[in-house]
Amino acid sequence: MIPLRLRSKCDRSIEPFVVRISSGEGPGVDDATLTSEKPGLLSYRAERGDFHIRDVAPAHIEGDVLLVDPQRQIAHRLIRAASQHNTFLITEQCDQLCMMCSQPPKAHHEDMFTHFRAAARLAPPGAQIGLSGGEPLLHKEELFGFIDAALSAREDLSFHILTNGQHFDIGDLPWLRKHRSRLLWGVPIYSDDPAVHDEIVGKAGAFARLSGNLALLGLAGASLELRTVVMKQNAAGLVGLADFISRHLPFATTWAIMQMERIGYGRMNWCRCFFDSSVDFKDLGAAIDLMRARRQSVMLYNFPLCTVPAAFREHAAQSISDWKQKYLPACDTCRMQSRCAGFFEWYREEDGFMEIHPQ
Amino acid sequence: MADDTGSYFLADRAFVDRYARDELNRFDADFLSQRGHTFQKTGDLAHTAFLTRWAQRQHIGGGSAYVILIPTLRCDLKCSYCQVSRAPVAAKGFDWDEQTLERILTFLDDLPVDEIQIEFQGGEPFLRLDLLRAVAEYARRRFRRVRFVVCTNLQTLDADILAFLASEDVLISTSLDGPHQVHTRNRTGTSELTQVFHRNLARVLDLIGPDRVSALPTIDMEHPPVPEELISAYEDFGFTSIFLRPVNYQGFARKSHPSARASESWPGYYRDFIDTLIVRNARSGRVMEEFYLAHCLRRILAPGADNHTDLRNPNIPTGENAVIDFDGLIYPSDEARMLARVRQVDLSIGNVADGLDHEKLALLAPSHVNNFDPDCIHCPYQPFCGTDPIDDLSRNGRIDVPRHESWFCQRHLAVFDLAIELLYSGDPAVDFTLCRWLGLETLPDALRPVLS
Repeated sequence: MIPLRLRSKCDRSIEPFVVRISSGEGPGVDDATLTSEKPGLLSYRAERGDFHIRDVAPAHIEGDVLLVDPQRQIAHRLIRAASQHNTFLITEQCDQLCMMCSQPPKAHHEDMFTHFRAAARLAPPGAQIGLSGGEPLLHKEELFGFIDAALSAREDLSFHILTNGQHFDIGDLPWLRKHRSRLLWGVPIYSDDPAVHDEIVGKAGAFARLSGNLALLGLAGASLELRTVVMKQNAAGLVGLADFISRHLPFATTWAIMQMERIGYGRMNWCRCFFDSSVDFKDLGAAIDLMRARRQSVMLYNFPLCTVPAAFREHAAQSISDWKQKYLPACDTCRMQSRCAGFFEWYREEDGFMEIHPQ
Repeated sequence: MADDTGSYFLADRAFVDRYARDELNRFDADFLSQRGHTFQKTGDLAHTAFLTRWAQRQHIGGGSAYVILIPTLRCDLKCSYCQVSRAPVAAKGFDWDEQTLERILTFLDDLPVDEIQIEFQGGEPFLRLDLLRAVAEYARRRFRRVRFVVCTNLQTLDADILAFLASEDVLISTSLDGPHQVHTRNRTGTSELTQVFHRNLARVLDLIGPDRVSALPTIDMEHPPVPEELISAYEDFGFTSIFLRPVNYQGFARKSHPSARASESWPGYYRDFIDTLIVRNARSGRVMEEFYLAHCLRRILAPGADNHTDLRNPNIPTGENAVIDFDGLIYPSDEARMLARVRQVDLSIGNVADGLDHEKLALLAPSHVNNFDPDCIHCPYQPFCGTDPIDDLSRNGRIDVPRHESWFCQRHLAVFDLAIELLYSGDPAVDFTLCRWLGLETLPDALRPVLS
């Protein structure tokens, strides 16, 4: 597992600051340059103050954008230069309580937008940065302000925003339209049956609200990635959901059907929710077939390739973020490993997929 | 029944009566609302989705061009149904001259696209391999993506032609009318020439593979081939798709094939052919496709199946979808070129010397949209279908005959009726063929909604 927080050493009186680890060529004012390298300790010089990073090789963090937090003596790797999976955690607050949530909500909110703004400015060229939560749109004004600033400071940046789709209103339409080519909205929908969806997200009336707001995204011409975690609760309804998507959400860019992540509520509710698609792919297959016939894009996220029948493997994406992805010992001999999403770091074989077959 | 977005369902007569009398019951209303045929208010999800689906059904085009070039009218065959006034091999004045070639390259250069498919027709284009090479060389430099299709009778193959075919961006389209004797009667006239063609076709398939070679039969309804034999002839060469076309009632074909005008027997023959195909596919487990039915089926199921230039809506003539004749005149389609050849009506939309005639283009545009046609608006197949005013002109001398009296409409009603019938049949043999055509593992029931 790739660490996202590094132990650091820094004068505690300095306020937290964002800095980029210089990759050597013409360091700018926001870059930190390596001054000494001892076993287990790298020393950097930056305009805001000197700091040290423990237990990491210089090459591994070159080009990374760090948030150095002197009080806590840690450095958050806000952007890892070598990764396609960089996400800013906007807030841990949320107004839904999804059964399979991998990042259960917390009451407290810490506003990090100043740091995110600084970090986005230092991102590698052409980066797409994830914005996630919690529910980022609970702090909509600050979020939209941050996006405005980041997009105008850097014309090459784009954002992939994960939201529960509960917090748009008609007044957002011009803003959504203005940024539509640079924002991809990942919005979960678990069923076309409002009762099932509301039960899964733990919020009455959620589906009705979602449905109006999806219409708004459609009217805005926004890029929309629909996300459905497959579970015991909704697996049998996937074909109905596929039909609903092709009829009511034809403007979606893609539909991602996702496997569960065994962490947070996902771990707590694993036995109640995990649907073993390696044993029964029938409804998934029919849902994909329907989307194929209707010429709409459909993807499988977090599905190890050997759990997907060969005819549907072309839809499986390497979706698991690099920092929390692993393979099993049995995968060592598999010819498909280089194309496979693999498993979450916290996946357990004893209550996971029953049919894992290295190819 | 289908709405303007092409969302269809099957209903009985009683529903149609309730609908016509505005007496829909609660069950009807729920069915229509769940499936996105109705909406509650402007801007709600059903309404926004409906607008999207409608927009997706319209063919806008842009981005890529499909241009047909006729470097020569001369041909070394004399097919009974030849659509154009082909010229004898030794004739003079039926090829592009230097200046025409230059102007055609300039015309291509001016197209506002960076992707193009260039189809060489004739005559026999390989009689002027030098011109094909000149165009190919130029187009490969000018366009980001380019493909060439040579429509050839494959009667002659020499080292130079084979070298031209070696490039991955060159495809072959040829005619294979079926069993030996049918092909000979329709096309070559002698058994020896048919043998030469067979040898050359096998050689080309061997050289560049079945992915880059397509063949299609032209069906003479006075002597149609037996379906089983036609399919076998294609299977023997390893083809997996047949595009069944009746003799085109255009150009000079009408003189020797007067029956092609009405082609009343076509739908029956077509249906018989498809039945044979489906039974055969189920029996052999190999799958042969009839391109047009598969294509129409794909158009029913989803928007965006616009890759066949003859069935799109709207299908407004532009310079990006044009035919340039041997003399540099530009036509909106090959059929329009034929009408001009027989001097019925001049449908050219410009020439390579003076460019496109925008007045003429504007005049032709409205008839290439079926959305507002007084007959088409009552047809459930309107969103899947297209128009062919050129064919209407050719057969009826006018474009405003009632749709159901036009050959285009009759032919397409028959194809779409058949496609819907097969989609709803539920027969395992039919489902097997349909799944394979559509690239599906199973045919979800959601693709055949029924209000009952």
